[in-house]
Amino acid sequence: MTADVMQRPRRNGLWREMLDGWVTALTEPSLDVFRAQRDQADLLKTALGVGLLGLVIGLWAVAVGPASLVTGTEPVWVNLLRIIFFTEADFFIIGLILFFIAKGFGGEGGFNQHSYLLSLVAVPLGMIVVALLFVGDKLGLTLMAILNPLSPVGIAGILMILFGFYGLLLLLFALQAAHSMQASAVVYTLGTPLIGWGVLRVASMFAAHEENMITTEWDFIAGQWAKGTIQELLLGHLWLVAFSVAIAVVLGVVMGVFITWPSRRPRLSHLVILIPLVLCFLLWAASSGLLGEGMADSIKVMVKGWDRSLTRAGGFFGPLLDILAAIVSKPSAVGMIGMMFTIILYALFLAGEAASDLTLYIAGIILTIPSVALFGVMIKPLGIGPLNAAFALILYAQLPILRNTYTGIKAVAPEIVEAGRGMGMTELQLLLKVKLPMAVPVIVTGVRVSIVMLIGITAIAAYIGNDTLGEYIFTGISRAQEKRYIAGAILVAILALAVDYFMGWLQNRWTPEGLKGRREAT
Amino acid sequence: MIRFEHVTKIYPGTSSPAVDDLSFTVPTGEICTIVGPSGCGKTTTMKMVNRLIEPSGGDIYVLDERGELRNVLEMDPILLRRSIGYVIQQIGLFPHRTILQNIGTVPQLMGWDEARIRRRAEELLEMMNMSLEYLDRYPHELSGGERQRIGVARGVATDPPVMLMDEPFGAIDPINRNILQNEFLRLQREIKKTILFVTHDIDEAIKMGDKICILNAGGILEQFDSPAHILSHPANEFVEDFVGADRALKRLNLVRVEEVMDSRPPLLQATQNAEEAIGFMSERGLRFAYVIDADRTLKGYVRLRDLKGKTGWVDEFVEPAATAILMGTSLKDALSGMLVVDYANVCVVDAHNRVRGLVNTEMIHRAVVESESEKSADEEGEE
Repeated sequence: MTADVMQRPRRNGLWREMLDGWVTALTEPSLDVFRAQRDQADLLKTALGVGLLGLVIGLWAVAVGPASLVTGTEPVWVNLLRIIFFTEADFFIIGLILFFIAKGFGGEGGFNQHSYLLSLVAVPLGMIVVALLFVGDKLGLTLMAILNPLSPVGIAGILMILFGFYGLLLLLFALQAAHSMQASAVVYTLGTPLIGWGVLRVASMFAAHEENMITTEWDFIAGQWAKGTIQELLLGHLWLVAFSVAIAVVLGVVMGVFITWPSRRPRLSHLVILIPLVLCFLLWAASSGLLGEGMADSIKVMVKGWDRSLTRAGGFFGPLLDILAAIVSKPSAVGMIGMMFTIILYALFLAGEAASDLTLYIAGIILTIPSVALFGVMIKPLGIGPLNAAFALILYAQLPILRNTYTGIKAVAPEIVEAGRGMGMTELQLLLKVKLPMAVPVIVTGVRVSIVMLIGITAIAAYIGNDTLGEYIFTGISRAQEKRYIAGAILVAILALAVDYFMGWLQNRWTPEGLKGRREAT
Repeated sequence: MIRFEHVTKIYPGTSSPAVDDLSFTVPTGEICTIVGPSGCGKTTTMKMVNRLIEPSGGDIYVLDERGELRNVLEMDPILLRRSIGYVIQQIGLFPHRTILQNIGTVPQLMGWDEARIRRRAEELLEMMNMSLEYLDRYPHELSGGERQRIGVARGVATDPPVMLMDEPFGAIDPINRNILQNEFLRLQREIKKTILFVTHDIDEAIKMGDKICILNAGGILEQFDSPAHILSHPANEFVEDFVGADRALKRLNLVRVEEVMDSRPPLLQATQNAEEAIGFMSERGLRFAYVIDADRTLKGYVRLRDLKGKTGWVDEFVEPAATAILMGTSLKDALSGMLVVDYANVCVVDAHNRVRGLVNTEMIHRAVVESESEKSADEEGEE
């Protein structure tokens, strides 16, 4: 087959064709250009391309003379051959590794096409980079690019970095064209060797007991884990998030549902709302001394007793008990918050859709308040600790849920709602059997956004005396311990990513089966 | 039966009514199509029956399953809606529920147990000529036509006496729409529901309706009558314009070939000899004749000029007929079939390919002319 290809008459001559290939690949890179080049690939062109790369780098090396490759004792042509050989061998090995990884990700092209397209990127960019290297050596270039970007060396360095990125981009095209793969598989193909290299590098750090940021962080985190501090803070972090999200989901979904309903007139039966309202009022009044100091005092004593029995408990549920204890210890505040939410919910229940714009607008405003500011403002009424944190977290968490519930329900096609109504569903049945199930994917997205956001805010809640992973960050900063605050940042980031991944999995599971394939169907 | 008595609907904030003093009665077991230009209130009219829209005035009665005529305005809207079949375009299926759950929507609301719902759904799928495998699939896995069949099945799930259909075949391509319409008409012959059928397509209205209710902008009833009568006697200029200049042709849709065909056409037996055939044809002035065998199965035709001067059996000279028309075909389809193969005469056969008659363009022409002259005679009579 190769013989056939090689005997194909070349209309413009071999060199002209190769030059065209390099120029178009560099100047108008696109999948189509690379695909066209792939169809013209043959062994001769590949060999010439790679050979040329070796020659250019070889000539440069002989001229510049790196000590490791060019020895002064050998004749020039021996050095040149050696460097050409090393270049070709490197290219071949890297190409082969990429080829097999690409095959692993479902690539379809042959090694010949694969190598030709890689050389198409490597040869012209290699020449440019080699030319730039005459301005200064590699390390110097990249460093100068940062230190003194306006000097000639600095400019050359910046150019080299840019060409490096450009080369990576072109390699993505080249791989995709060579193997007709999906874009994601191409990224994995190119990423795998990098990650593999990273893993090897890190392993070598530990093997050689190298002292750098990665090893110190590892030692620090491992030490904290052994002491059990991380587990404790992690548990505190997660419980605070879980508690707040649990309440926020209920509040957010209920409010979201309310603002999609038509508005209604108050009725006598709505007096049921008064029960929690009155209870909350009584709680607030009694504990703040409105019903006599004696009662307030006895409540205080009672609360102290509960508080003590709750805070003594530790273990898995320890942080949750801490939160409950903090709530119990501030009955007047809890009564106030309860009244507030009851009134808001009832107002939305009555106003229905008429309040949707205003509600979403206010929700948007609340979300823009910095969490640190809210924590600070709430210290006076709610004190320091889990109660203050939970209040702010619930407030923040319910907003994306509320918004997504509203959008999700509104996005249900009116024909579907009408079909349900026309078949005799009551409004409640319509909500539970049609609107909410269809809005579930959107609502869960809201919950996912909330949780990930809360993991970040909960880290800040360490500032107002909560045992969360943010503690590492704040103590680290105040004690100027670099490894401590970096560890905190790493842990919070990992936690957020892990929880987000888990929520993505849940989202997929909870999406009704019939809604999954819908996008492809339409 | 569905009866409208002086029904009016004025939407809040508007001064002119959307439906104006509408009165008509749809007899039990008939389809009434409501048709009119957009904004004529046809959907409003339909939705007032199950009170998705509340009328501003007048009364609407439906015959319930016990045979009692009941005023819908005095019924609980939820129970009313459950007792009336409701079919809308295929997008009205619940995408998150399986076909079984979709069909079982109203039965479930009425508290049927699962086994009964499943049995009913299976029965309905069979009625729709669909495989039982569909039960556990989701709407997005079905084609548009299949989804619409499920939509109809869902509407008749509890066997309600009255049904409302809101442009049910509107979003289907013309070929499948025709198939679905025919299927539904066949089904209707079995289930005999009283149906209010909204459409914007006058051809569909003529085809599907036992009665047509033509509305004008502002919900004014222009004419309520049978399709044939509306086509031959449009009540006024609006109706005349609306049914179109080709209304004479549309009438062809309403007449079936067996109504106009010559049921005793001159036919040759395959076993006759050429001489007899020549005599038979010249006696009747025919240039060709259709040939049948002993049990009246259509064999083809012979031409007079092919037979001249020949001997032997007719059978040897038969050429196959390019087309034959099935009993029950409308004149419109028959005519179009004849135009395609450029025949002036064509055999009408039954399902077993036995010749039942002959139809030619002249007979079709006469059918059109008769309805026209009937109309002019009527008009003269009125003056």
